Amino acid sequence: MIRDITIGQYYPGYSSVHKLDTRLKILMVLAYMAAIFVASDFVGYVIVLIGLLCVVGVSKVPGRFILRGLKPIFIIIAFTFVLNLFMTKGDVFVTLGPLQVTSQGVYTACYMALRIIFLIIGASMLTFTTKPVKLTDGIESLLKPFVRFGMPAHELAMMMTIALRFIPTLLEETDKIMKAQQARGADFETGNIFRRAKALIPIFIPLIVGAFRMAGDLAMAMEARCYRGGEGRTKMHEFRFGLRDAKAIVWFAVWFGLIVCERIFDLQSMLVAWLS
Amino acid sequence: MRNNKSGPHCLCGPFCIMMTDNIIINIEDLGFDYASDDGEIAALTGVSLSLARGSFTAVIGRNGSGKSTLAKNINALLVPTRGQVTVGGFDTQDEDRIWEIRRMAGMVFQNPDNQLVSAVVEDDVAFGPENLGLPREEIRARVRSSLESVDMYDQRKMAPHLLSGGQKQRIAIAGVVAMRPDVIIFDEPTAMLDPEGRGEVLDIAKRLHAEGITVLLITHFMEETVDADRLVIMDRGRVAMDGAPGEIFTRTEELRALGLRLPFAVDLAEGLRARGVPIPEGLLHEEELAEVLTCLNQK
Amino acid sequence: MPESKIIVKNLTHTYNKGLAYETHAVDDVSFEVAEGEFCSIVGHTGSGKSTLVQHLNGLLKPTSGSVTVGGVDVTAKGASVIDVRRKTGMVFQYPEYQLFEETVYLDVAFGPKNLGIAEDEIEVRVREALGLVHLDYDEFAQRSPFELSGGQKRMAAIAGVLAMRPEVLILDEPTAGLDPKSHEDVLALIVDIRRQTGCTVLLVSHNMDDVAALSDRVFVMAAGRIVRAGTPEEVFADEEFMKGIGLGVPRARAFASLLARKGLVLPAAERILTRGRLLDALGALTS
Repeated sequence: MIRDITIGQYYPGYSSVHKLDTRLKILMVLAYMAAIFVASDFVGYVIVLIGLLCVVGVSKVPGRFILRGLKPIFIIIAFTFVLNLFMTKGDVFVTLGPLQVTSQGVYTACYMALRIIFLIIGASMLTFTTKPVKLTDGIESLLKPFVRFGMPAHELAMMMTIALRFIPTLLEETDKIMKAQQARGADFETGNIFRRAKALIPIFIPLIVGAFRMAGDLAMAMEARCYRGGEGRTKMHEFRFGLRDAKAIVWFAVWFGLIVCERIFDLQSMLVAWLS
Repeated sequence: MRNNKSGPHCLCGPFCIMMTDNIIINIEDLGFDYASDDGEIAALTGVSLSLARGSFTAVIGRNGSGKSTLAKNINALLVPTRGQVTVGGFDTQDEDRIWEIRRMAGMVFQNPDNQLVSAVVEDDVAFGPENLGLPREEIRARVRSSLESVDMYDQRKMAPHLLSGGQKQRIAIAGVVAMRPDVIIFDEPTAMLDPEGRGEVLDIAKRLHAEGITVLLITHFMEETVDADRLVIMDRGRVAMDGAPGEIFTRTEELRALGLRLPFAVDLAEGLRARGVPIPEGLLHEEELAEVLTCLNQK
Repeated sequence: MPESKIIVKNLTHTYNKGLAYETHAVDDVSFEVAEGEFCSIVGHTGSGKSTLVQHLNGLLKPTSGSVTVGGVDVTAKGASVIDVRRKTGMVFQYPEYQLFEETVYLDVAFGPKNLGIAEDEIEVRVREALGLVHLDYDEFAQRSPFELSGGQKRMAAIAGVLAMRPEVLILDEPTAGLDPKSHEDVLALIVDIRRQTGCTVLLVSHNMDDVAALSDRVFVMAAGRIVRAGTPEEVFADEEFMKGIGLGVPRARAFASLLARKGLVLPAAERILTRGRLLDALGALTS
């Protein structure tokens, strides 16, 4: 069910994470992704996990909701896991027929799977706590410095805005057209792949014609409302960088610094040496 | 509306052309051709109209009569092939004035889905003011007041696709109102709505008119025109009839020939007259007709 | 008594079953429609009427309950989709938006082709269907449907459904968005089609004037249930109720009530649903 996919969804709330400056959130997610690749051993991953759990806790997005988001990518995680498990060379640990599992394989497989999970959950925390419309504004704002190098920041953001507005409408439209053609005996479910592809023509053509009509209407409505590109335009929403954001940066910096230190000074080995 | 026909500006009524500063839209001998496979097709020919500030004008005609093309010519979405259109004294062909013209003459379109830009109601209403480059606080104030004026402030955070057709049209109207226009051109705003949505939109158009906005309502429902100061009937790109609704509705044969229907009360009155019931001419509202019938019966 | 053409029994359709926002779009609805009858379904937007009619040709499967059309159990697990589609033709709102073929001929032929009808028979059907909607075969068959005018497109789309020779014709707001003249044309067409083919008609509409003028019986839906059913006279007798659920009554009936409020009570006012009857009543009174 499409409904079960929570990736990219917004989870309404009023937590500090929700209220954070969108631009900051985007930058922090990017840094977080880098951090996952910096962290390379057990202690590093524990630090990542602690950071992630803190954010999830503060955001009040239910764990069940987050885990549901992992469902559609479970295959990818499992595939990566199995691949790494059998394909990594090293000390043989178990032999299963022609396949060999090495201890390095087990190690890599676990780390890679965790890395993907951390990546997805971290990125999802951005969309869970930020309205798509705000996300669009944030991206536009972040891209603004690159406008002088020819980056069409406003146009990209406008495209995203319109896409967000019209995706539900186009989905409804698709549903209507499908039903109408089914009522005329169209069959989308049987036959081989070519037959099925051909059966989609009666949906695609009306849908495309409809999308063009929509685009034409919308362009006219936008022009009538004095739209003339990004120049001279103001915005109702303003990003205000506040105390909350400053605090978040400090916390994030501490966390990020820990991960970097762990990597540089190999805290894990020191810890192991000290313990033994 | 009928009860303030003369308006505050001019004693000789909305048809006054003597005091030109009272004219907000002036259309002179407008012609517009569409390019098609078979060459140029005239969508409008020799259309002349002038709209007084604060007036309520209804334009009616069958599909393809050119009424939508006329609307787009006023908002400078289209520019005349022949003749001239001025809005607030500015020629629509004057490129430098085009944004000012579009701000002055706002437009509400037929399809409620295809004219909203943003996935959040209040952001959509902000779209016009943002395009005008207004300061942030001003935009906020305008978004609020416009949404309140169409009774949609409570839904400001909602996604448009979850609203009814009538509500979507009200958002579209709020988006235009937020630009503080002098005129609002409604281009068949009720054609795709259910009766309830139709009523909502019409009520708001009337309310905005009462607040001083000049209204040009393009429609194919006769009922919606009875309260207008003036009724213009379009047929095949020309103005076929132009006058007060009360006067036009007496010309029933001409209307029928143009494929148009009479408003219910007028139609009923005509039917009764044909049966020999002495009903006076010029009754437009059911209320008036009911009054007359009750009196007749008492006699 | 012959079996009814449409039998709907305890039909329930639940969206998002089991979730917190589960909604009964159709809630325990039962009704029957006799062969050749003209019935209307009226209801506020969101009252469940669209969901209901989509069950009649198997586009939606009920959560519980059953639907039988022309003796075929539409909701049975093994029901042949083609059999069901053959029985029930459905004209959706704004049907012109489904046109997709290169020519009007091919578009109208799409339905019959899907039913597995032979090529020469298809041509007969296309001619017949275009004839029913008054589109001249020689003039229109080879034209692109996208070149037609708005009204003609709608006619072509309706022909696409008629070419399947449905025994039951369902029309969802067939006049939406049309100007008054085209509106009348489409209604006249429906009456004409029914006269010529003898099909059973189910009309979904917001226009109480049309419903009163055309229907043998009316079903009123509100919140997923049928809250009133009967002849137009019976259904529109309770004006307050119809207004309360946001529907209203035919204009002639509303006008008769207006007169009554002003002290002019027409005899059998609740039976006055059309312009003609209103004129008769008023004429009789004042002469």
